[in-house]
Amino acid sequence: MEIKDYLEGIQKCDRAILGKSITLTESSLKKDKIKAEKLLSKCIHLKQKSLRIGVSGTPGVGKSTFIESLGRKLIKENYKIAVLAIDPSSNLSKGSILGDKTRMEHLVNSDLAFIRPSPNSGTLGGVSKNTKDAITICEAAGFDIIIIETVGVGQAETLVKSMTDILIYLTLIQNGDELQFIKKGILELCDIILINKCDQNHKKSKQVAVSLQNSLTYTQQKIKQSILVCSALNGFNITNIWEQIKTIEKQKNKQGIIKKNRIQQNIFWFKKILKDELYDLIKTNPKFKDVIDNFKNKPNTNPRTAVSKIIKKTFKEDLK
Amino acid sequence: MKKNIFLEKSSLFRKQSKKDWNKLNKTQKYFQIEDGKFDCIYFKDERKYSNTYCNNQNWEICVEIDLKTNKKANKDALNALKNGANSICFLNFNNHNLNIILDQIQFDILKINFKNIKTSLAKIVNQLIEIAVSRYGKNYKTKIQGFFHISHEDYKKFKDIISIINLQEKLPNYRLLNLEINKNNSMKEQFNNIEAIFQLMRNENYNSNFIISKDTIAKQLITFSYTLSNQFLYEISTLRAFRIAYEKKYKCTPIINCSINYNTSDDNSLIETCVKSIAAILGGTDMITIKYNEKNIQLYLMQQLILKYESNLHKVTDPLHGSYFIEYLTYHINNTKQNKIKIKKKNNFWQTFEGINIKSRYTKSTNKNIQHLNYGAGEPPFLRGPYSTMYSQKKWTIRQYSGFSTAEESNKFYKKNLKAGQTGLSIAFDLPTHRGYDSDNERVFGDVGKAGVAIDSIQDMETLFNGIDLSKTSVSMTMNGAIIPIMAFYIATAEKKGIKKEQLTGTIQNDILKEFMVRNTYIYPPAASMRIVRDIFKYTSQYMPKFNNISVSGYHMLEAGASADIELAYTLCDGLEYVRNGIQAGLKIDEFAPRLSFFWGVGMNFFMEIAKIRAARFLWSQMIAPFHPKNPKSLMLRSHCQTSGWSLTKQNPKNNITRTTIEALAAVMGGTQSLHTNALDEAIALPTNYTAKIARDTQLFLQNNTDICHAVDPFGGSYFIEKLTDELIHKAKKHITEIENMGGMVKAIEQGIPKLRIETSAIKRQTKIDSSENLIIGLNCFQNKEKTKIKILEIDNKKVQNNQIKKLTTIKKNRDNTLIKKALKNLQTACSNQDGNILELAIVAAKAQATLGEISNTLEKVFERYKAKTIINSGVYAMEKKNDKNFITAQKLTDEFKLINGRRPRILTTKIGQDGHDRGIKIIATSFADIGFDVDIAPLFQTPKEIVKQALENDVHIIGISSLAGGHKTLIPEIINLLKENNRNDIIVIAGGIIPELDYKYLKNKGVNKIFGSGTIVLDAAVEILNELLLKWK
Repeated sequence: MEIKDYLEGIQKCDRAILGKSITLTESSLKKDKIKAEKLLSKCIHLKQKSLRIGVSGTPGVGKSTFIESLGRKLIKENYKIAVLAIDPSSNLSKGSILGDKTRMEHLVNSDLAFIRPSPNSGTLGGVSKNTKDAITICEAAGFDIIIIETVGVGQAETLVKSMTDILIYLTLIQNGDELQFIKKGILELCDIILINKCDQNHKKSKQVAVSLQNSLTYTQQKIKQSILVCSALNGFNITNIWEQIKTIEKQKNKQGIIKKNRIQQNIFWFKKILKDELYDLIKTNPKFKDVIDNFKNKPNTNPRTAVSKIIKKTFKEDLK
Repeated sequence: MKKNIFLEKSSLFRKQSKKDWNKLNKTQKYFQIEDGKFDCIYFKDERKYSNTYCNNQNWEICVEIDLKTNKKANKDALNALKNGANSICFLNFNNHNLNIILDQIQFDILKINFKNIKTSLAKIVNQLIEIAVSRYGKNYKTKIQGFFHISHEDYKKFKDIISIINLQEKLPNYRLLNLEINKNNSMKEQFNNIEAIFQLMRNENYNSNFIISKDTIAKQLITFSYTLSNQFLYEISTLRAFRIAYEKKYKCTPIINCSINYNTSDDNSLIETCVKSIAAILGGTDMITIKYNEKNIQLYLMQQLILKYESNLHKVTDPLHGSYFIEYLTYHINNTKQNKIKIKKKNNFWQTFEGINIKSRYTKSTNKNIQHLNYGAGEPPFLRGPYSTMYSQKKWTIRQYSGFSTAEESNKFYKKNLKAGQTGLSIAFDLPTHRGYDSDNERVFGDVGKAGVAIDSIQDMETLFNGIDLSKTSVSMTMNGAIIPIMAFYIATAEKKGIKKEQLTGTIQNDILKEFMVRNTYIYPPAASMRIVRDIFKYTSQYMPKFNNISVSGYHMLEAGASADIELAYTLCDGLEYVRNGIQAGLKIDEFAPRLSFFWGVGMNFFMEIAKIRAARFLWSQMIAPFHPKNPKSLMLRSHCQTSGWSLTKQNPKNNITRTTIEALAAVMGGTQSLHTNALDEAIALPTNYTAKIARDTQLFLQNNTDICHAVDPFGGSYFIEKLTDELIHKAKKHITEIENMGGMVKAIEQGIPKLRIETSAIKRQTKIDSSENLIIGLNCFQNKEKTKIKILEIDNKKVQNNQIKKLTTIKKNRDNTLIKKALKNLQTACSNQDGNILELAIVAAKAQATLGEISNTLEKVFERYKAKTIINSGVYAMEKKNDKNFITAQKLTDEFKLINGRRPRILTTKIGQDGHDRGIKIIATSFADIGFDVDIAPLFQTPKEIVKQALENDVHIIGISSLAGGHKTLIPEIINLLKENNRNDIIVIAGGIIPELDYKYLKNKGVNKIFGSGTIVLDAAVEILNELLLKWK
């Protein structure tokens, strides 16, 4: 298939081609990578306005179910939504189980929704530049809202933050102690904290939400985070959450935060991709093999010296 | 910690003695076998002597070959050995050439026997020695072994040719004499005969400067043969009696060989030979001999192999040692008082799938700490049976589960079965009916009339029971999800026929909790479903006193791969939850508990299954006692059993007759109240008239042709079975307590724990089969490439559906729609308010001719449709398999694929239509992920369009479809067409599950790439698929 065919399909929002396009960005083959780059650079210009929402939280917290509930609401309001779900690959077998769709039965069958689960293929935290590429493709296909679902481990939140406009973090309250385990950084990163499964203990959930809200008044954020309870399973408080998302979006837009963020995000990704690609290039270049091997084998090699050697060899011209 | 839910002071239950038991009964208590008059039950204090014997319980399978030409004999022998025989007996040796006959036969590892020798014995002996020397050199003597079946009469013929001493010297491991154990002789006469022949031998050999001792004859020179009758319990006892008496008299163990005669023309005879073989094995036979038959030898041998490898009959030596009944009979036959024998202690265990360590011996001392030993039958805690006289008064109900296509067709089938001796009906509904859809619903095309009968309205129900007297025929209905409309149709139909609801007898499954764990034919969420159960309890306990309002089912858990302890525990937990639910509905325990019944699956682990059913009764009494019932019947657990469909194979379907017989026997020994025996083609398709007959005949044979109905809990008291019962009780208690600590079964289900446990168990089981740790004959060992063709029943589901749609249109046209509206509105109000009985109002709607879909939909408006939580646990397969060579190969193939394709192989695994049996597909999903696939899982109950949408979005390489309910011929081609429409016919479609081989060609023509039938080894399938992918992408 030619780039032209991909583009045509994406613009028509043809599911088969959308699916294949995302596969292209995920491929580890060199020829696919070249194709993907070309495709993406075209897609960026087709980009339409969209809202990017990140959903994170520990396994079993109810992320997929929450997305199903929120998604049903969005579809009713005629939004076109894309869900990009990232599932962990096993370190041992490298295979993965992509079961998100079993919890999104309604969305799965809707013509307004496109759901693409992807294995993280070993990247820490599960989100990578592939996800960013998939967002670009989905935006080119004209989806209004793009939801990125990821398991909250490692650097996931930071990375999700760096590709979304609004970040939602889901947590559970069962003994009240769970809050201690929410990673400190997260509170600062996310816009909305949801205490899910409140159907199991509504009163307690509310209490915790209130006390958490109180403690947050002291953090320095331009827009105050919201803490809400919900039951993804029976849809409790979903309408309210959607209202909240819209409010935050409005506020952020008003203050120009979304636009600013997206620029910053681009810089972030530029840096990250540059770093990754350069490192890859050096690592696989036979010219540096002995420097790297030498460094690897001798315990008392100074890392700085090793890097200096490589830089000197690479940027001879610039260093003069 | 929650308080203990068991009645721990089990002393509250009365211990039972013969005297107590006698008081419970007024009628017949004795029965006659041979010359003896026996009670139908015996108790611990009646077990005066409990003797056992020494043999090691590893019986051999011997094939008898009638010698014609040398070459033919050699070919036949090789064929028998290839198919699992471990010993050969040549008949009518007469100047044959052993060199040719034994060509390629490694007779150093098996016994070569001779019977009806027509020539001189010396000829055989010399030839044998010659061959042995040429093959094994001077040390041949210890290498070859066998029997000469020389009878008492023949002995004189041979004695002048070869002396015993001569033989002893040349072939020390050959036995010379064979004595028939004669049924008509008493044990005393039996032993007189033995003595006579010993004397004869000694006299005849007197001249050779050597007096042969009696000991030598008894120990080294004689074998016995025995032909069994159908009297199962009596034959076990006879064999035991002989062994024990012989060991006492001669201080050595006899070699007994039981002949089993197969009838070549009749598949039914496999039932009889199976029961006889089990009796021989439990009696401690050393060898089972079957006659070679050109056409059927494989079939016969497979029966023996199934007994040997699948049913675990041989793990314990003398497993019935200690059984009150068997020990009594044994003593009656041999009159042998306590005999002390030395048992070699072995320290190795065999660990069951439940994690129970089975020793090779059980004796009195193993039962020391067991609490339950003194309980009896017919009174709480019902350990030995719910009724005191059990089958001696009332045999179990033969209740075959059936139903297919339309009500008209099923009705015909039922009437025929009732005429043929079936004693109750058991209705199977099709999947749309289960899930609350009318046949004209677009979601269900492909499923209508498959795997059960389609019922859309009261009209269909009337047709279903046309000409069947519902006041006399007990009807069991397997219905859980759409229980309200089905019960409403049933009751309304009866009333329309002028039968009072009070007269209705039968059972409704109504066990919604297990649906959330395994079977997935639910409609509403757990809490709402429990409300429905409550309303049914209320209604039936008020109006239908003879109707069992629930059948708490473990069967589906067993079928989904649960071990016996999990099946036992979770089913009882479900039961407890229903009891609490009934109490919550305002009922008194005695108003509904006596009508609860239980439904067990019975698998191939013979003794475990017996113990399971016994343990269940005991535990249930303990669990209900804290509710303080006044009626002892509230404490009584009554069982329905079904033989396991999962244990059957599509390879060599006739083997399933054997499996079903073993399982049926276990169910009966466990004391079930009714039984369904599977048809041999269960793993392939719906039963035909022929296969249904064999299934039914299995039960009729057990009831009418054997002695098992005479006895109450005949294995009770066996040290092994009592210990096993005890271990299961303890294991189950642990599981039950765990569920209780989660807040009961409903809470546990919401957390998905029971489902997860069962699935883990299923995957473990699969790996054990894949690695041949568990042998399944014809599947992972002794594969037979020849295909048995059996006719299968095919349902033209388009025709059925059109027929149903026509009926629906007529009904909707002719009924009074204002009446319907009103009835449904009332029904809806009852659902949203807690007052008003849903069933009662549904009956009104049913009478007004509301359809099943309409009634179900009305409930759905309030309760909503439940969506399953799919949890897949990965890593289990890899854990069990990590060192397996094939597993590592498969993993490498996935890596190789990634190098070519840029990503891992990606497969969408899915069920299709309304079929919710997801055990198979889950095993595939988790094991494939462990192998290195990216595995997408589709939700249950998807239409072809929905599946294709997912395949496109996820951009998979393969779609793997599991079909168990027969919708494959319509639904899978539909998927392939839709892929084509979307230009994605490059996606490979594979199918698995229960797909008749006759359909393979059709499906392949439609574009299905591969079909994996039930019993496929997962790794093999994975490798096959990977090779296909590699081929495609290279």
